[in-house]
Amino acid sequence: MKKISLFIALLCLFKAADGQDFAYGSTTLQELDMKSYSRDTSANAVVLKEFGTARISSDDKCPLIFDYHVKIKIFNSKAFEYGDVVIPVYKSNNDRYELVREIKGVTTYLGKDGAMHTSELDPKKVFRENKNIHWDLLKFAMPNLTDGCIVEYSYEIESPYVFNFRKWDFQWNIPKMSSEYVAHIPAVYNYNASLKGYLKLTKNDAELEKECFAPGGGVKADCSKISYLITDVPAFVEEDYMTSSVNFKSSINYELSDYVDYMGAKHKVTKDWKDVDYELKQDENFGSQLKKKDFFKPLLTASIQNQPDELSKAKAVYSFIKRSFKWNNRFGCYSENGIKKAFESHTGNIGDINLSLIAALSSAGINTEAVLLSTRDNGLINRLFPVISDFNYVVAKATIGGKSYMLDASDPLLSFGLLPVRCINDQGRVLSLDKASYWVDLTASQKENKIYNLNLELKNNGKIEGDMTIMSFGYEAYNKRKAIKKFNSEEEYLEDLDEKMPKIKLLKSEIKNVDSLDIGVVENYHIEIDAYSSLNQQFSFNPFFMDPVKENPFKLKERNYPVDWGVPSESKISINLTFPKEYEIVSKPADVGLALPEGGGRFITSITTDQNSLNYSELFALNKSVYMSDEYPFLKELFNRIIQTQKSDIIFKKK
Amino acid sequence: MIRKFLLLLSMIVSGEIANAQTNYAASDIPKNLMIRSNAVIRTHNETVEVKSYTQVIYHVKKAITVFNNNGDVHAAIDIYYTRNREARINLKGVIYNEFGMPVSKFSDKNLTDESAISDGSLYEDSRVKRFKPAIASYPYTIEYEYEQTFNQSLLLPYWKPIETTGVSVQSARFELKTFPGFSYRLKELNYAGKAISDSTKDFKSTVWTMHDAPSYRSELYSPHPETFLTSVRITPDKFSYQGVDGSFANWKEFGTWVNEKLLKGRTELPPETIASIKELVSQLPDEKSKAKKIYEYMQQKSRYISVQIGIGGFQPAKAFEVDKLSYGDCKALVNYTQALLNVAGIKSYYCIVQAGSFKRNAPADFATMQFGNHIILCLPFERDTTWLECTSKDIPFGFLSDFTDDRTVIACTESGGKIMHTPYYSPLKNKQIRKANFRIDSLGNADVTMETSFSGTQYENHDALLRLTQTEMIKKFREFYEINNIESAKISFTQNKSANPTAVETAEFTAYNYGVINGGRLYIPLNEVNSSRTINELRNRTFPVYINRGYTDVDELTFKLPGDYKIESLPENKVIKQPFGEFSVTIKKDEKSVTYTRSLILKEGNYPAEAYQQLVDFYQEIKEADNSKLVLIKR
Repeated sequence: MKKISLFIALLCLFKAADGQDFAYGSTTLQELDMKSYSRDTSANAVVLKEFGTARISSDDKCPLIFDYHVKIKIFNSKAFEYGDVVIPVYKSNNDRYELVREIKGVTTYLGKDGAMHTSELDPKKVFRENKNIHWDLLKFAMPNLTDGCIVEYSYEIESPYVFNFRKWDFQWNIPKMSSEYVAHIPAVYNYNASLKGYLKLTKNDAELEKECFAPGGGVKADCSKISYLITDVPAFVEEDYMTSSVNFKSSINYELSDYVDYMGAKHKVTKDWKDVDYELKQDENFGSQLKKKDFFKPLLTASIQNQPDELSKAKAVYSFIKRSFKWNNRFGCYSENGIKKAFESHTGNIGDINLSLIAALSSAGINTEAVLLSTRDNGLINRLFPVISDFNYVVAKATIGGKSYMLDASDPLLSFGLLPVRCINDQGRVLSLDKASYWVDLTASQKENKIYNLNLELKNNGKIEGDMTIMSFGYEAYNKRKAIKKFNSEEEYLEDLDEKMPKIKLLKSEIKNVDSLDIGVVENYHIEIDAYSSLNQQFSFNPFFMDPVKENPFKLKERNYPVDWGVPSESKISINLTFPKEYEIVSKPADVGLALPEGGGRFITSITTDQNSLNYSELFALNKSVYMSDEYPFLKELFNRIIQTQKSDIIFKKK
Repeated sequence: MIRKFLLLLSMIVSGEIANAQTNYAASDIPKNLMIRSNAVIRTHNETVEVKSYTQVIYHVKKAITVFNNNGDVHAAIDIYYTRNREARINLKGVIYNEFGMPVSKFSDKNLTDESAISDGSLYEDSRVKRFKPAIASYPYTIEYEYEQTFNQSLLLPYWKPIETTGVSVQSARFELKTFPGFSYRLKELNYAGKAISDSTKDFKSTVWTMHDAPSYRSELYSPHPETFLTSVRITPDKFSYQGVDGSFANWKEFGTWVNEKLLKGRTELPPETIASIKELVSQLPDEKSKAKKIYEYMQQKSRYISVQIGIGGFQPAKAFEVDKLSYGDCKALVNYTQALLNVAGIKSYYCIVQAGSFKRNAPADFATMQFGNHIILCLPFERDTTWLECTSKDIPFGFLSDFTDDRTVIACTESGGKIMHTPYYSPLKNKQIRKANFRIDSLGNADVTMETSFSGTQYENHDALLRLTQTEMIKKFREFYEINNIESAKISFTQNKSANPTAVETAEFTAYNYGVINGGRLYIPLNEVNSSRTINELRNRTFPVYINRGYTDVDELTFKLPGDYKIESLPENKVIKQPFGEFSVTIKKDEKSVTYTRSLILKEGNYPAEAYQQLVDFYQEIKEADNSKLVLIKR
């Protein structure tokens, strides 16, 4: 601790007092005259300056005080949304809530007279929307926006939530010329700070503030004043097929590690995984819930007593828990109401459901651990030190016969061992009641796998008749089941399917295994296609009619962020077509075999012909969940070549 | 004695409720109500009791059986409240399993409380109390009862026993009870029965009922559900709303009331603004050009921000305030524009309209405050009525787009409310005309020049290109077209603003690998610029076909062929004529080029249900024609 202080003190010798807020209402004519932002002429608006500061007040209860101030140049009406401001504030209950004060705003614009005019925000026009039990939204619209105007506003938030020191977002969807954040952290509080995104800090200073924190009772502490500055922050541009933008937007985040209380006693809040393990195991809404094995024992007897082995026992418990709960669409790794209560009301958040699953599996004698994770939308986990608030989800990891299975009981259509795609996100932390925690990869346990088999006959009247079998496995089977369950019955699904393909009649249909989640879904159809009104002297046939790729999903020349494909996929198509003897094939698409580097994917087609039949086979596999931006050109080209291939036809001619 | 009797009576009533559970076994539901249904309303009893002009009690008792998770949404309870609908509702409910046995109970304390501000609005005072039953096994039945008090009599609940697709009704009942002397008008739509009325000296009552009504399925190109679903709307002749009293029996009186109570005295402006408007138009020759100037001034100055509080849901913010803040909602911006026009002595009407791409008329014979969701402005120039949409910063003067075109609206004129009709844009006016040149080289690459003009209700098709930089524009352009590998593009987008505006997009680009070489042949797709979709077939089409708005698309694409290839095969010309539309493909060729002309006209209107299959075939044939290719072979 002393060493750090010394280091900070040394720094002070070289740094002048800096990290000052800019003056309010100091807009210049020059800023008003600005017609575009030279570093990004496509920007409809640019943040000229943004300054924030956060400190822990010495006042009663030592709240966190955050002051925010921004000045935005709006070039045209496309960016008027930056004049509509929403400040979300959190509240736990009537005694513990965030407070917003001193909202001030001013619009500065050039009048027709060429002079500078200002319009102040009327405090009466600031609305408080009581969104729900936890969130209030303070909302206001800045007055008199015109093309080229500058809006400036500032406010202060007083928050009782010091555990998460105020985070700071450096990057928005519009560029910023300067974004600076100054954190005053009393030495009695110790935070872990982490910087997200790929931007580098332009300036990162620390200096010592003597006895800045004096909450009374004789307690006095020095503060570290840490300033973070990034200048010329580019606009964040969202790309298709990317995971949460949170992973890539530049921001600084904190988590309280420890603090010293009035009595001088040090309290660890988050330090290393050993502490976290211990705390979670003791936590009333986590560890205590996992220990409620006895609660499930009597409930499970009927389901598991006749199961021959561990795996079938585990499967029985998994379906029991899935049957017993309806997910309330809320995430979370903690139980909201305790699993007993959740079980009785048949509903709960992810924590309620999956902690129940873990407790139930354990009570059935199956070695089961909890896996904390962050969903794709929630962003990636910081793995340098434990940041518990980064996690928003928990699943079960059951180890049976040396093999481990990841389980989530929130969705009745998930098969045993299949995680929802939202959970396939880097790594999760495995916690058990008796061992130290460790990281585990969250990869898709199965692919999105489908097989089409078609056995068709082209008749002289131009119709094609035959059998089509579609087999779906892994995530594809899950997707298929979901599509079928959207209808009230299989009949309604089939009717809709038939109606979707006006040219194809389903003469006979059969769907197997819709409710047997552990095996693939098999669809058998006898079909008739109205292919040609009659067969001409010459006609063409496109063998790529099953699932063609029509448009390249990748249109950008290059890419900044990885392509996140979710789960690997594989599809196989085999078409056998017999055709009338009077015809012969005069031209057919050349066979192709394309592959991505490092086994990233393949597209292979081949057409073989016989007297009066042809066989087309296709394999298309994308083997990775995530493709890095340097793999992007290859991925784009693969799709391009697939589209090319699918544009050519087989040409038949009368002999 | 009287007390005892009442007590007994109430016991009988509650006894009835308690016994009712035995009726909720899912197996009791008639088979015909289960077809295409994910939920069945077992009973739905609503009573609207108008006790006085400032007290209306709405009582609901409902039981609904849900068959699968698609039906859960119908079991969810959403009760809205605002300044004029109380938050206190005394909810009581029971959930039953498939055999009709009670499994759990719920009440007010299980409700969540959230704000109910609509999308795109900054602030509104409406809130919602919600309850979502959590039952993991199907079928289940939820039964509940609540009562909500309204402190106004202008907006009364209406009856719509079948609200949406996939839900059938076993039994529904709606009762309107009013104090003597409360007079009202009714609008019954598609009600097969006859309402039963009864009156005593204390109240008058009317009851509507429905039994065993099957669910319906949504079908593409159907008329508005209001044309086939049962509904009863009630509107008072005399009422009180948020401290404002009033009465109207027809649209004329309605308009007078709106003028007097909601609009009067709200057009005052600051003297500086008056002066600058006067100066702005002083040199202009006629009213129309003055109005255009003023409208553009308003568009440039203001932006759309919606705030709805209490009476402010119906009453525009004062023009003075809009002038100060430069923002407002549709009411405020129309009222502001009207105020500015007043300065120049130009008359205008505040008009209530049901906006949205689906055209909806004002009900001519039923004046009600419950009509409309938007306000536009009408300038009644002699022989040249002009309409203004005041919430857009870009839309041309006098143009209404597909948001409010071709429908009746209620104009608040100096002599009261008047039904007026907004401009109709015919299929021949709603044009998208494209001309393009594809110069194909021996490798299949194409150099393309393309010009597309958009007019009528198609004017805004590519509006997204507006004010984008070249890089952003190219990105967007790639999204509009199916063509792959668009490189070295130069795009421009211009708008010719007028009451019949046209937008023009011009593009120059290279499309690598546009054509494909395979087996000595070069395959060239003929239409990757405007290809049609297909629509689902329907085995049993029940509703007539309704096409809401017609349009015309013409694409003329010329392909200059590489010298080392000759034409092997060409698709045939094609003409399809149907009552609802016409499609044609004409292909002309010479040694070096092929010109492909595709024309599609869709005509709005009502057609019999049988026309649906023809429409399916029509789109299917178009889709196939759109997929056709030109095949060249190496010389």
